[in-house]
Amino acid sequence: MAEAIQKKLKVEVEKYTQMQKDVSKSVSARQKLETQLAENNIVKEELDLLDTKNTVYKLIGPVLVKQDLDEAKATVTKRLEYINGEIQRYETLLKDLEKKSDQHRELLSGLQQEFQKAQGMAVGKV
Amino acid sequence: MAEKGKMSNEHLGGVARLREEQEKVVKDCESRIQHWKKVSGDYEALNDRLKTLPDQLSYDITVPFGPLAFMPGKLVHTNEVTALLGDNWFAKCSTKQAQKIVDHRMKYVKSEMDDLSKTMKNFEARVGLTKDLENISSGKGDYIDIREDSRNIEAAVTKGRKRIAHIPNSKPKLDAILDLKEEEEIKVEGGDTERRIGTITEEELWARLDELEKLEQQQDDQDRLSDNADMNGDMNGEESSSSEEEKEADAAPPVNGQSVKPSWTSAPHSKKPPCKDSIAEEDDEEEEGHGLPTILFSHTMEPKKVRINTGKNTMLKFSERKEQHSKKKKKNCLNNGHHELHKITTPVDIYRLFVDVKNGEPIPRKSILKSRSRENSVCSDTSESSAADFDERRMIGRSFSHDDTTHSDTSDGLTEEDSPTAVPLHPASRFEAFSGTVVEKDPMPTAVPHLTLAPPALPTIMERKQEEVASEVAPPQEAPKRVSKFKAARLQQK
Repeated sequence: MAEAIQKKLKVEVEKYTQMQKDVSKSVSARQKLETQLAENNIVKEELDLLDTKNTVYKLIGPVLVKQDLDEAKATVTKRLEYINGEIQRYETLLKDLEKKSDQHRELLSGLQQEFQKAQGMAVGKV
Repeated sequence: MAEKGKMSNEHLGGVARLREEQEKVVKDCESRIQHWKKVSGDYEALNDRLKTLPDQLSYDITVPFGPLAFMPGKLVHTNEVTALLGDNWFAKCSTKQAQKIVDHRMKYVKSEMDDLSKTMKNFEARVGLTKDLENISSGKGDYIDIREDSRNIEAAVTKGRKRIAHIPNSKPKLDAILDLKEEEEIKVEGGDTERRIGTITEEELWARLDELEKLEQQQDDQDRLSDNADMNGDMNGEESSSSEEEKEADAAPPVNGQSVKPSWTSAPHSKKPPCKDSIAEEDDEEEEGHGLPTILFSHTMEPKKVRINTGKNTMLKFSERKEQHSKKKKKNCLNNGHHELHKITTPVDIYRLFVDVKNGEPIPRKSILKSRSRENSVCSDTSESSAADFDERRMIGRSFSHDDTTHSDTSDGLTEEDSPTAVPLHPASRFEAFSGTVVEKDPMPTAVPHLTLAPPALPTIMERKQEEVASEVAPPQEAPKRVSKFKAARLQQK
């Protein structure tokens, strides 16, 4: 009885840890997106300030590729929108994950109590 | 104390942790600020470089070639600068434009630094508070935590709120009850207390009680003295002794018939003496006035009341025989008691006040709730009072015969005649219980003395009377029933 509970408990604990990891991942991703968002905003501002005479390059790997100013601007705005969307997605994901983790936590606590009771009983029996 | 110690320990632990956390935040803020400061320093240097770069067309420089080698070279196109905008975007621009970009970045850095410094200050303050808290809870330092037991405070509050009753609570209530009871009794006896019920303090009540007791004693004495006189004076149904309804109930059956109706009629007069208090009765007839509950009444040989349909709400009851008597007698009473009449202290007073003065007698109005139809209809009476009135009417016929004689005589004589006969009847409270008019259903005994006493001026009538009395009781009753007041007056005048 106690052993079965113990096994169960282990399984549940693993699940819970996994969930926690997912949560942390999503949190970090969201943070990245936020920084990118900030950066892109700056880039947008700078691009607005530039004249057409200034050539804009984009770094793709080790190569600097010339870009049109307007194209660059468009690209940046698109990127901004994309980043915003990503952030929202990650937010919802994070909420779900948190809910799940809470439920799991409760389950775990219940199992733990059972386990302790069983252990206590086992001790008493012994 | 152990609990307190425990609490303090926990508290200390918590406070310490809080302090630690706060200090962490502060440190973090400091590090960030440091970082930003560096950045801003770099930007400053960059700015300077950009300023000086376009001064020359080209510069001879030692170009680093890997980590260990250098090469002599030249720096050309000094004005062209490729600036990283962010997120892998580059822009070729002049130094001045680059400078602008740098300026922008500098602004951003500055704002970040300001925010961080603010948070750091906040957390520094918090740290200070937690430190103080720690000191207080542990007992060190100059700060002492002032704590009070909630229980004690509550007790103190309740104590303060408690009022010390100078006069015990129970007493006033009892007094009030006693007073009421006494008042009732006095009322029954015909006392004056009925008027005085109201918002009276306890002490006042006691004083009042004493007063009333004295009054009662006085009245008793007076009653005993003037008992006979009062009886003599009591003739008219209207002005008989005041009758409380309680007393009326106790009164003899013959009285009952009259009691209901006469109570109203006699109420004004009956109540008068009580209002007078210690004022001596000026009128002998006006019975009541004195403390002892005595019912003064006079046998009404004649029908005391004749029901006349004078309208909806007016109950016209008057006795032809008594009219003049009542007028006479009532005069003084009215004069004396008028001011008292107007004084309303109890509901009864109201009835007394609102009277219809008919034929010189104040006839109290009957309640509108009660049907008048019965009253007004001469033949359809079924109540006791109606029965009594029936008898009265019977007597009316007889009375008419006597009217000449009796009215020619002074009313006193009649009353004197009546009173002795009436005396033996209930000597109850003269104030209220009984109106004083006794309607005798059996006219025989009373009729006889009248006959005997009546002057022989109308022997025929007397004979007739006897006949009526002897034989036909019913038929002659019909005739007198329907006598209107005018006719009655005419008859009287005859």
